[in-house]
Amino acid sequence: MSGSARSEIFAHLREAGRGESEENIQRERLSLGSASAPAPPATEICQAFILNVLKNQGSVACVNNRAEAVQAIAHYLYPHFHNYRLVTGNDPRLAAMPWRDAGVLPRFGSLEAGEPVALSFARLGVVETGAAVTWTSKANPAANNFLPEHHIVLVDKNDLVPTMEKAWERIHHALEKTGRPRGINFIAGPSSTADIEGELIYGAHGPHRWHVVLLGDVPVDAQNIARAAQRNQC
Amino acid sequence: MEQHSEAFLDNASKALKNGEQAQRRDRITSLASQIRAAAVERFEEFDGLKHHIKKIRQHSLDNLDYYLSQFEKEAVHNGSQVHFARNSEDLNSLVLDICQQHDARRVAKGKSIVTEETGLNSFLQSAGLSVMETDLGEYIIQQAGETSSHIVSPALHKSANEIRELFQQKHDLGARELRETSDLVVEARDVLREHFLQAEVGIIGANALIAENGYSMLVTNEGNGDLCANLPRVLIICTTIDRVLPLAEDATAMSRLLARSATGQLQSCYTSFYSGPRREGEIDGPLETHFVLLDNKRSNILSSDYREILECMRCGACLNHCPIYNSVGGQAYGSVHSGPIGSVLTPLLTSLEHSHLLPNACTSCGRCAAVCPAEIPLPDLLRDLRHEEGIKKLSAPRWRYGLKLHSWLARHPSIYQTLAAISIRILYQLGRKRGGFSKLPFASGWTSQRDFPVPQERTFTQLYKAKMKQSNER
Repeated sequence: MSGSARSEIFAHLREAGRGESEENIQRERLSLGSASAPAPPATEICQAFILNVLKNQGSVACVNNRAEAVQAIAHYLYPHFHNYRLVTGNDPRLAAMPWRDAGVLPRFGSLEAGEPVALSFARLGVVETGAAVTWTSKANPAANNFLPEHHIVLVDKNDLVPTMEKAWERIHHALEKTGRPRGINFIAGPSSTADIEGELIYGAHGPHRWHVVLLGDVPVDAQNIARAAQRNQC
Repeated sequence: MEQHSEAFLDNASKALKNGEQAQRRDRITSLASQIRAAAVERFEEFDGLKHHIKKIRQHSLDNLDYYLSQFEKEAVHNGSQVHFARNSEDLNSLVLDICQQHDARRVAKGKSIVTEETGLNSFLQSAGLSVMETDLGEYIIQQAGETSSHIVSPALHKSANEIRELFQQKHDLGARELRETSDLVVEARDVLREHFLQAEVGIIGANALIAENGYSMLVTNEGNGDLCANLPRVLIICTTIDRVLPLAEDATAMSRLLARSATGQLQSCYTSFYSGPRREGEIDGPLETHFVLLDNKRSNILSSDYREILECMRCGACLNHCPIYNSVGGQAYGSVHSGPIGSVLTPLLTSLEHSHLLPNACTSCGRCAAVCPAEIPLPDLLRDLRHEEGIKKLSAPRWRYGLKLHSWLARHPSIYQTLAAISIRILYQLGRKRGGFSKLPFASGWTSQRDFPVPQERTFTQLYKAKMKQSNER
């Protein structure tokens, strides 16, 4: 059925189309250029990213290095869960972190029933949307991004890109080496719904808390914004 | 496609009497309109982006055969299986075949308006499958046995109380009272979580298909679509052939317009791109990914004067701003697609004969066109459909003769002006003492809700002529 349906549909489309050559079509698309992106909420890239993460109802911690990252994760875990356990993918970058120094007990693999918190290492952070980009792989099970009650995402300052156009440039470049993954996810905030009388509720199906740990040389002003927001959220 | 648009006028009359629902609808759509306006204002280049996406969409539709074939090639390269469906029957059978090949008994569905168009749920259920809608709004209306009332918020017509009663009937709640809205959300989350984990097949829709890399784009806030896409062992992505865009950056540029127009966000919580099965060494994800691409008259629309309707990105802004939609609600339209977009799309996807009342559900106020991020001239398309309705003599004879008379009068201004002057004078004489009319012949619908005001003694044309004469004499 699908074969004959395919020919029938393509016959209709060819009739409706302009019958241009591939070269002309590609040239025309190229001539249309790229879209305009919104202006960032601040000129400094970390500050702009943090402001947009907060706008998406995420929380942010800024850390200078991996040791501090582990400490920040421990500080996040204990008040919420009274323990230091989390689940994370088999990402070599995460396996190499000094977990023991802060007493954090990671389990490497895919989230299972009864495990409330997972950590992912983002491939990119998109300043324009305050989003973290991940893609599926051995090291990043999809369940860890969509099933936990709390989702913690580590974003390296060097992986921040200003716009979604720049994000695609980086993604396409990275995938040239590894091949295309099954899924690419731009995640911007905790799961939410307003389906009951328009009231906004977090944790519709996925995480109801989304916490970003921004790793790198983050300017003091940006750090202060993140800290002030955390104090308010507490 | 199942539709009951013949009953629009009766449905609308009933809906107008439900004041509580109308108030809720008005509150939610007004809020959505304000949030949209604020998000658009903050994005200074919004109009520039609209024009850019318009050009991209036109270019894609002009070369749809090329881009669809490129998408198919790339999706297959990613390991996906691509199927084509001419109509609803094709799509439903293809999906059932895939489910049966995998001995599936449970299906978890993300929001897919396309499968609502084809009636997929009842088709799969009649073959013995359990099909669960997982978007919260869709889940609520599925449990209630109702149809969607809004493209973005399907259960917008239901109050929290009604939803609480529904869950009390359908779920085993024990001592739980579900007092707060958040309790209702948690209840649905718990029930649906089980279903996600047990379903063998996940079905989702797509907001766009990307020709250059063979991925679909799915935009959601709840994340239910992502659970459907990642947990079951088979994934089926159902969408229509006109959704293809050339580049990945075109899809995310469109999502800038979509997120702001629908919910005022920078980006919906989850913007996800899927293609192909689980890769080697991965511990989750489907073992097979299928695309089922539906035509259902869209290739005909492509070569018609209505082709711009295919550029719709399903943001719901036209519904939120439509005075008719706000008065009668989405269910009155008797179709999967409601509001201005539905009033154009339904006749084109079914037949004007069965749905000619819908293009008349318009005051020509133009708000839908003003807020449409795809710049679709909705009032013009509705007018063209009404014109076709006239040519095909589908409306009631009294309407047709009435319009003919009006048209004749409009082409004979001196007679029009004389008759207008006489009738205005009579109305003035009759009403000047009481100040308004609570009843008027031929206008009972109008006067049922408010008084008709008494006109001035003379018409605008009379006053204008008198004034011109005066100034000429000077």
